[in-house]
Amino acid sequence: MAEKSLRDPWSPYRPTPEAPWNARRVVVLHRRAAFAATRDELRRDLDDGPGPSVDRLLAGRTPADDFERTSTLIADAAVESRDPERLKAWWVYRMLAGPDPLGERLTLMWHDHFATGNQKVADIAAMRRQNDVFRRLARAPFGDLLNAAVRDPALLVWLDAPANRKGHPNENLARELMELFTLGIGHFSEGDVKEAARALTGWTVADGAFVFNPAAHDDGDKTLFGETARWDAPGLIRRLLDHPATARRLAGRLCGLFLGEGVVDAEAVDELAEGLRAQHLDVGWGVATVLRSRAFFGAANLGSRVVGPAEFVVGAARALGALDPPPNTLLLADWLTRIGLDLFYPPNVGGWPGGRSWLSSRGLIARANFATALTGGLGVGLPGPVDVFGPDGPEAPIDRTVASLAERLLGYDPGAGWRGRIAAAVGAGSVAPAEAVRRAAALVLSSPEAQVA
Amino acid sequence: MSSRRDFLKTSLRHSSLVALAPSIPGFLAATARAAAPGRDDRVLVVVQLDGGNDGINTVVPYKDEGYARHRKALRIPAGDLLKVDGAVGLHPRMAEAAKLLERGELAIVQGVGYPNPSRSHFRSMAVWHSARPDPEEHGGPGWLGRAADALPPRVDRAPAFFLGDGSPPAALVGRRTTPVTLERPEDFALSGPPDPRRALGAGPAADPGSGDLAAFVRRSALDAYATADRMAELAGADATAGRDLRGRLALVARLIKSGAGARVYYTQQGGYDTHAGQPDAHAVLLGELSSALGAFQADLKASGLAGRVAVLCFSEFGRRVAENDSAGTDHGTAGPVFVVGAGVRGGLIGPAPSLVDLDDGDLKSSVDFRRVYASVLRDWLSLPPDGPLGGRFDPLPLFRPA
Repeated sequence: MAEKSLRDPWSPYRPTPEAPWNARRVVVLHRRAAFAATRDELRRDLDDGPGPSVDRLLAGRTPADDFERTSTLIADAAVESRDPERLKAWWVYRMLAGPDPLGERLTLMWHDHFATGNQKVADIAAMRRQNDVFRRLARAPFGDLLNAAVRDPALLVWLDAPANRKGHPNENLARELMELFTLGIGHFSEGDVKEAARALTGWTVADGAFVFNPAAHDDGDKTLFGETARWDAPGLIRRLLDHPATARRLAGRLCGLFLGEGVVDAEAVDELAEGLRAQHLDVGWGVATVLRSRAFFGAANLGSRVVGPAEFVVGAARALGALDPPPNTLLLADWLTRIGLDLFYPPNVGGWPGGRSWLSSRGLIARANFATALTGGLGVGLPGPVDVFGPDGPEAPIDRTVASLAERLLGYDPGAGWRGRIAAAVGAGSVAPAEAVRRAAALVLSSPEAQVA
Repeated sequence: MSSRRDFLKTSLRHSSLVALAPSIPGFLAATARAAAPGRDDRVLVVVQLDGGNDGINTVVPYKDEGYARHRKALRIPAGDLLKVDGAVGLHPRMAEAAKLLERGELAIVQGVGYPNPSRSHFRSMAVWHSARPDPEEHGGPGWLGRAADALPPRVDRAPAFFLGDGSPPAALVGRRTTPVTLERPEDFALSGPPDPRRALGAGPAADPGSGDLAAFVRRSALDAYATADRMAELAGADATAGRDLRGRLALVARLIKSGAGARVYYTQQGGYDTHAGQPDAHAVLLGELSSALGAFQADLKASGLAGRVAVLCFSEFGRRVAENDSAGTDHGTAGPVFVVGAGVRGGLIGPAPSLVDLDDGDLKSSVDFRRVYASVLRDWLSLPPDGPLGGRFDPLPLFRPA
């Protein structure tokens, strides 16, 4: 474990002898803020240093016209087909080949934060529109995102807003707005929930779009947070955005996305929250601050976060160079589900528990089976095994191949004992060299070392 | 692998392997014990009703004058109920549950809750999972996880299985105990080559920088692959097992029959958060619950296992007494808990909560849920209850004396 609390955790990282810019840090950056680096990206970022590497992720690439055109075609066809599996595949395609992997990571974070499930919404077009809202406002000031999310038809249906009318309050949206989207539990009372539900009356969905229905709105006095006024929904949202607990929750979210277990203490999260308040809850500012920070590149942040299902699956394909031809995204989306992330179907309004809970027995077995499927190719819709040879091709000694795979997938070499176990499990000598390399890649991917970054 | 399995099957037929334990390798002895659980290994099956079950329309106090007053759209006519006594009746869709009650195999504890109830799904579920009302104590181990921590550690056999989607509930997580999650039997087959077990090795985690997390990942991987082995030993995977509550309970029965050896199985039935359009949705859920419980009991009886298994059904809270105007109900407080099994002392336990004497529109709870847990731990699982529950709670007379 590293030192208990890093001094100035949010000051910019500069490479030092203790925290050098190396392959490990490039791998961690791309595992946390993207979906792993390809071999070329790894090499390029190692040469360029932390500044340009982080800036590139923050900015995203200018989307090629044909990517967005293809993406839109795929999404339209998914909506047309009414098949949710095809919508999942569309998102996986964006993660795998899109110009803005950090944007997709943030979109996934917001899907988790405003967790909306198609099991109840039952409207793929609405789920897609919500997803595009999360993507468009992924780095925006949180107020813009929150205002859009709380007017989003899928979310309103999910939380029973249409049933919340003057004189007939339904508390579902009011409670989750405060408990999950902004303040967090402990910062509001049961009375606040009841009054907030009244303030939100009239916000509903008609013909698939958000509308305010003045006739259903309760215009009377309400006492919220000790203040009696004719509260309405915009006023409630403004108050929630002003509350320090919202900034704290947002800071906690960003730390949870980018940092490992115990990397920063409560004081550091508070400090980030204060910064966010000073920046009008600008998420882009928060993301940039965390990704450029000493906390992010500190030793404690290496190998201390469980790699989630999306970064595991999409990251494995990218890091192994299985992109041309690309794997079948329907099959990749199915692997995501088996590993524990069923896109558009969060387990409940609280989203996915994440962290160590990703490593259930079922999830770990599915990860091992995915490693077998990906490297073999057929299980992910490729014509044959992925070309994962080390620099010397399939004829290189197996130990050298394992070392080279470790460098690409982990950014470091766990040691001779580790390499030896993998080489022994491969059965080198008793199988063809190409098959030995494929097995070695599968074993590195399913090793405990590859489940964290 | 297969020769080891064949050896075990042959040996178990003669019941000799356990007796030979001191002279055979440790892993074989452990596997043999797991394959032949002792008579005293009683099993608990938890069915978590997710979303907050409307207890009032489950065990209906039809004689309570408050029922008709507060339930207009949702009122179930007294004539449709499956009468339990002169005051309460079961929802009309719960015919199988009514049969269990008649046979004395279903105990219904009424008005179960806790002081200062939370109406948050997450906080209230955390209270039930942790057995700690104080939120400061949430996020840590759960009541069954703590209880399982007291069992001797076993590498080859999980103390608890969770059958469902996603992550296991906090109730099952202990300081050392990690439950095994199972959605479908085929989720537990390793497809290699290569075999990831062979690359795992026996040494400590390679990366010293990641400390405790690295050890956790290794341990989780070992557990996962040991479970894959056990599931491979189960004959004839049933493709429909595990799809709905009935299928998941069928899978629980198969795991118990095959000697998976866990003391606790945990599964969920979702959909009880009936803010709107409750009558149809609730009827479907209760019908599924009731028939799943009936089928499970019948399955266990046919296998001679009924005496070893008890089922506990709970929900994180009941619902508001007054219905809302969406033909639904909002979050409330106390509710009934069901305990099912041949070893259960059947009948109604505790008074039905009053629908007239309310606390700010909500039911007053008459039985602390930790008293139910205390009975389950002490009288069923033979585990000390005070530690897992964080204090002493009077057990209820839920089980027949052994």
